[in-house]
Amino acid sequence: MGGYAGSILYVDLTSGNIEARPLDLKFAREYIGGLGFGTKIYLDLIKGKPDFDPLSADNPFVLMTGPLTGMKTNAVARWTVGARSPLTGLWGDCNIGGFFGAQLKFAGYDGIVITGAATSPTYLYIEDAKVEIRDAERYWGMDTYTVNDEMISDHKGASKKSGQVFAIGPAGENLVRFASIANNKGHVAGRTGLGAVWGAKKLKAIFVRGTGKLEVGYSNRFDDLRAELKELYDGNISIEGLRAFGTASHMDIGIISGDIPMKNWQQSEWDLFDEIGPIEYEEKILTGNRTCYACGVACKREAEVKEGAFRFDKGPGPEYETIATFGTMCLNSSLESIGKANDICNRYGMDTITCGSTIAFAMECFENGLITEKDTDGLNLTWGNSEAIVAMVEKIGKREGIGSILSGGSAKAAEQIGGNSPDFLTTVKALEAPMHDPRGAHGHGLAYAVSARGACHMASLVFPVEGGGMYLPEIPELADEIIGMSSEGKAKLNVACEDFGIFFSHCAGFCNLGAMILNATQAVDMVRHVTGFDYTLDEVMQSGRRIWYIKRGLSNLFGVRAEHDVLPKRLMTIMDTGPTEGSIPDMDLMLKEFYELRGLNEEGVPEREVLEGLGLSELAALLYDR
Amino acid sequence: MGLFESSEKFEEVLAGFFRRVGETPEVAQKLLASKLVIRFSYTDPDVVIVVDCSGDEIDVRTGDTETKAQVNMSMSADIAHKFWFGKVNLMAALTRKQMVAKGPIPKILKLLPAIKPTYAMYPKYLDENGYGEYNIH
Repeated sequence: MGGYAGSILYVDLTSGNIEARPLDLKFAREYIGGLGFGTKIYLDLIKGKPDFDPLSADNPFVLMTGPLTGMKTNAVARWTVGARSPLTGLWGDCNIGGFFGAQLKFAGYDGIVITGAATSPTYLYIEDAKVEIRDAERYWGMDTYTVNDEMISDHKGASKKSGQVFAIGPAGENLVRFASIANNKGHVAGRTGLGAVWGAKKLKAIFVRGTGKLEVGYSNRFDDLRAELKELYDGNISIEGLRAFGTASHMDIGIISGDIPMKNWQQSEWDLFDEIGPIEYEEKILTGNRTCYACGVACKREAEVKEGAFRFDKGPGPEYETIATFGTMCLNSSLESIGKANDICNRYGMDTITCGSTIAFAMECFENGLITEKDTDGLNLTWGNSEAIVAMVEKIGKREGIGSILSGGSAKAAEQIGGNSPDFLTTVKALEAPMHDPRGAHGHGLAYAVSARGACHMASLVFPVEGGGMYLPEIPELADEIIGMSSEGKAKLNVACEDFGIFFSHCAGFCNLGAMILNATQAVDMVRHVTGFDYTLDEVMQSGRRIWYIKRGLSNLFGVRAEHDVLPKRLMTIMDTGPTEGSIPDMDLMLKEFYELRGLNEEGVPEREVLEGLGLSELAALLYDR
Repeated sequence: MGLFESSEKFEEVLAGFFRRVGETPEVAQKLLASKLVIRFSYTDPDVVIVVDCSGDEIDVRTGDTETKAQVNMSMSADIAHKFWFGKVNLMAALTRKQMVAKGPIPKILKLLPAIKPTYAMYPKYLDENGYGEYNIH
């Protein structure tokens, strides 16, 4: 069996039952891995009782690797987690890099399915065939950095391999609805609040150490392809940009096209912008590079602030999204404070996009008198007040004062704050939009609106393809020149980017950043050579399509309908200056075309025959016969 | 055929613009700090321009194929023209090889913030110098 470890671990925290089930090869070929495995298994688990609280024992949690995870080549260290989201109430998933996925496969498992809930703090210990549910009382309350170090130290023993930890911090324990789960401190399953699912299950961490090796279906072909790709990587400007500046390199690209939201999406230009650009990052807080398993791109940053109010120890540095949410969104030009906010989010275990966006939302509420210093315990939450931003991050992590209201995310906070605060929201389906403005790239707007988990730039390849960083000429819908500020043809583009993107990023395990220079042929070839399956581009896109419908169907089961496939008023407000001046996505046109292409009915539910045609009769029955 | 009818015309327009940029202190200071010598090789029509930032002031030389440049940028004249309006998707142009950049990539990327103000300068420069017919409105 090439690529796969060969079994999936099922752990029930209520009964304590643990079982390793062999991976079925027909299933593996059809669902590829990662999100494909996760969504199908999750659907099978909940189909008897699809109505439950995301923070109850009834919400299963799936963690799945792809066939490429753990291979020794650039940009394939990715893996996914999924469950019903406590933030949105819908299907939630995250795509993560780091080292945990590879280590899990070395231990012999392609994934873990966690059901039930423990009654006291617990962690899962995996060392090859030895799998145990253990007492985590000692670790409960620790931040993600501390629990990572302590757990590795506690389990070092005689082994030369230190193992990997995937853990929640205090935010997950406190059920912050955008709590994250972190591997090795800086590799984070951030979006949709799945850390709170663990908190509710009293699951603090998973420790894994594996000593096995992975097989490759056709090792000579795989080696030849790696040699071909090495030439592609050497000197490539996108890769060199990532190596030199990490994801922060997008600051200087995105500002040209108006991609970067500012002042809670009200501006696309700002005099102090360069203060938090990649050059300043390098000069003020950068201490080095970090990477994921076997990846030579090394786009992750390490940062430190040695003294002052925003002092933090050397550790994972802020990514582009974090710089934008705590920086441009809040008109905060203190890079040190952005690094500090990132450090607090990482340690508490919180999604920086939702956290920063929620604080920007709160700043606008403060500006408009909807909340005052009385509500904020004296914090002067004005635009650019870096001290107040950092203090508010901590209050959210602790759920202290107004931090408790904001810990539910901006959509839930707006319900409590009232007034015209909903006008300041930047959410789709209660998930805060990432830092890419659809007014400059209309296809992003459709991608945000129809994404099953809410506004998302990772659910498909629309962002890299429409943004121009990725070129897939083998896919006809993506071969022509793409004009950002146009809505024509963007429904077709979205469908193709979803079908191929689900295969590429979410099932196979390619990284959207480090692997963006591959074309479709190279990507499919790599999966062919590793698995030994004779996949074609058509077959992997068909798999991606099937998985897209499962995701959509899951969110439909959890309540998504057509009225939720909309952009918030704030993102649909025309800018009167800047690079996107006068541009607005034609959502009516794009949604109409998208619904036709996807076979969605007027309510936004896939037509029964579409699902049946993809072999998803059980999902159709759940949606139509229940 | 591209937008510019001859090499002479394109060279006149673009070299003139680069000289204008070189005389703009807020941009020139940052370019001079890079110490880079950049060769732009254009096609359709064919033009070579060297922007030399290695001295005390920016030196713009046309037709210079001899000086050793640390950075070599190649693209069509039309792409270059659109670029200076801020109307080229830079990532797409690089990915699709409509623009090719060779040299120390981190140093090239560091120039991006420096040239940001020039996007607003280019249409104004065209109008002020009798090249209004090339303006994109």
